[in-house]
Amino acid sequence: MLDIRNLHASIAGKEILKGINLHISAGETHAIMGPNGAGKSTLSAVLAGHPAYTVTEGEVIFRGKNLLEMTPEVRAREGLFLSFQYPVEIPGVSMTNFMRAAVNAKREHNGLPVLNAGEFLKLMRAKRALVELDNKLAGRSVNEGFSGGEKKRNEIFQMAMLEPCLSILDETDSGLDIDALRIVAEGVNKLHNETSATIVITHYQRLLDYIVPDFVHILADGQIVRTGGKELALELEQTGYAGLVNN
Amino acid sequence: MQEIIVHKGEKKHLVIMHVAEECAQWQIKQEADSVLTVHVFCLDTTADTESSVILDIEQIGEHAETYIYGLGILTGKQQISVRTHVKHSVPNGKSNQLLKFAVRDEAKGSFVGELIVAPHAQHTEAMQTNRNVLLSPTATMHTQPQLEIYADDVKCSHGATTGQIDESALFYMQQRGIAPDEARRLLLAAFFHDVQTTLNEPAVEDRIQRKIEKIIL
Ligand SMILES: Nc1ncnc2c1ncn2[C@@H]1O[C@H](COP(=O)(O)OP(=O)(O)OP(=O)(O)O)[C@@H](O)[C@H]1O
Ligand SMILES: [Mg+2]
Repeated sequence: MLDIRNLHASIAGKEILKGINLHISAGETHAIMGPNGAGKSTLSAVLAGHPAYTVTEGEVIFRGKNLLEMTPEVRAREGLFLSFQYPVEIPGVSMTNFMRAAVNAKREHNGLPVLNAGEFLKLMRAKRALVELDNKLAGRSVNEGFSGGEKKRNEIFQMAMLEPCLSILDETDSGLDIDALRIVAEGVNKLHNETSATIVITHYQRLLDYIVPDFVHILADGQIVRTGGKELALELEQTGYAGLVNN
Repeated sequence: MQEIIVHKGEKKHLVIMHVAEECAQWQIKQEADSVLTVHVFCLDTTADTESSVILDIEQIGEHAETYIYGLGILTGKQQISVRTHVKHSVPNGKSNQLLKFAVRDEAKGSFVGELIVAPHAQHTEAMQTNRNVLLSPTATMHTQPQLEIYADDVKCSHGATTGQIDESALFYMQQRGIAPDEARRLLLAAFFHDVQTTLNEPAVEDRIQRKIEKIIL
């Protein structure tokens, strides 16, 4: 599904990713943890194709294709989805128009006919139910005036609409209350299957109680310094990063 | 120059479709209790010429209301200047202006909004808003609100901003699979939306919408 080899990336002349290696197969869930400023969001931004970052070395193969050669929108249509740590507000653009443009762009890319208004609204309704997103939110402008938790829930709603192959969830748990966390995590689990893969970036074990990872990676100072099973996250809770990195 | 008098109690709606080469000028006087709504559209991109629209409006009777809405897309090497001159000469008048411009390529736009409240024109309520978005680094917009308020018991406000397309919104939309051109189109439609909804005439609204889309695409 995803093969990251010796990935180096910088922003404003400063190297942030310093040789990332990561292999993800279909069906797997990987957790990435690590101290603030380690480069977790940078890694997601680079994978999504954010223009502010420059890849200086390495390669990324996504479903057999060179990911780094694709524009951000093509990466998305090929099935890469990023749940943003800080979702963007887009005043004046309705959730409906936004999602219709996104869903149809992907369908056209895959040679499928675009959905008509009725089919599209039906899809919206079904996916809204999955993450229990309030109809009122779906009727508003994209993220405008949404609370922190509502924005995160809206990210997972969009993920449900787009049915990606690879989902990168960047601190989707931050800002969610306890019930919302469970609902959103259950939504993510329902969307996960043997043909898709998930990367969850988080600081807390709590999310991993719901979304159980096959692998846990510790990212520190732009490199993956340790990889383990789900017990690594528990160990981390005990020792903190200082203890782990010194081992 | 066209001269118009909006008579006592009359409601008048003026839709100005600006033509690229033209320097158009209106002088309008409003009598008591009249309501004037002006829509200015600068959407003719067929010629790279210098042109202007001047609206000179004076409220000469009390309780008159003036609404000016405008939107424009400037392209190529166009230079368009829009000037509004609204004078409240008597008490109890109202005016509201909302003008939005998107400037592309090497086009140059200019908006000058003169608002005058005469010394005895108490209880005037006047608002002026101008928002602009520059779609290329070589596009420019000059905006100049000019308020001269000589009465003390009035409510007047104005605001002017010029910015760029929100890059983070653009990336967010791309990450969902939307092509940058389509994303820009959605963002511009959102930008103009509040001006368009003041039209209340579906036929004209459709025509404007089609024109906007044709220019943006
Ligand atoms: N425009 C920029 N110029 C310089 N440095 C930057 C810029 N943007 C980000 N950085 C730096 O890149 C580093 C990695 O940031 P990143 O957001 O990837 O961290 P993170 O691991 O996601 O942290 P957190 O857990 O706080 O979300 C940080 O030190 C940050 O200050
Ligand atoms: Mg981060």
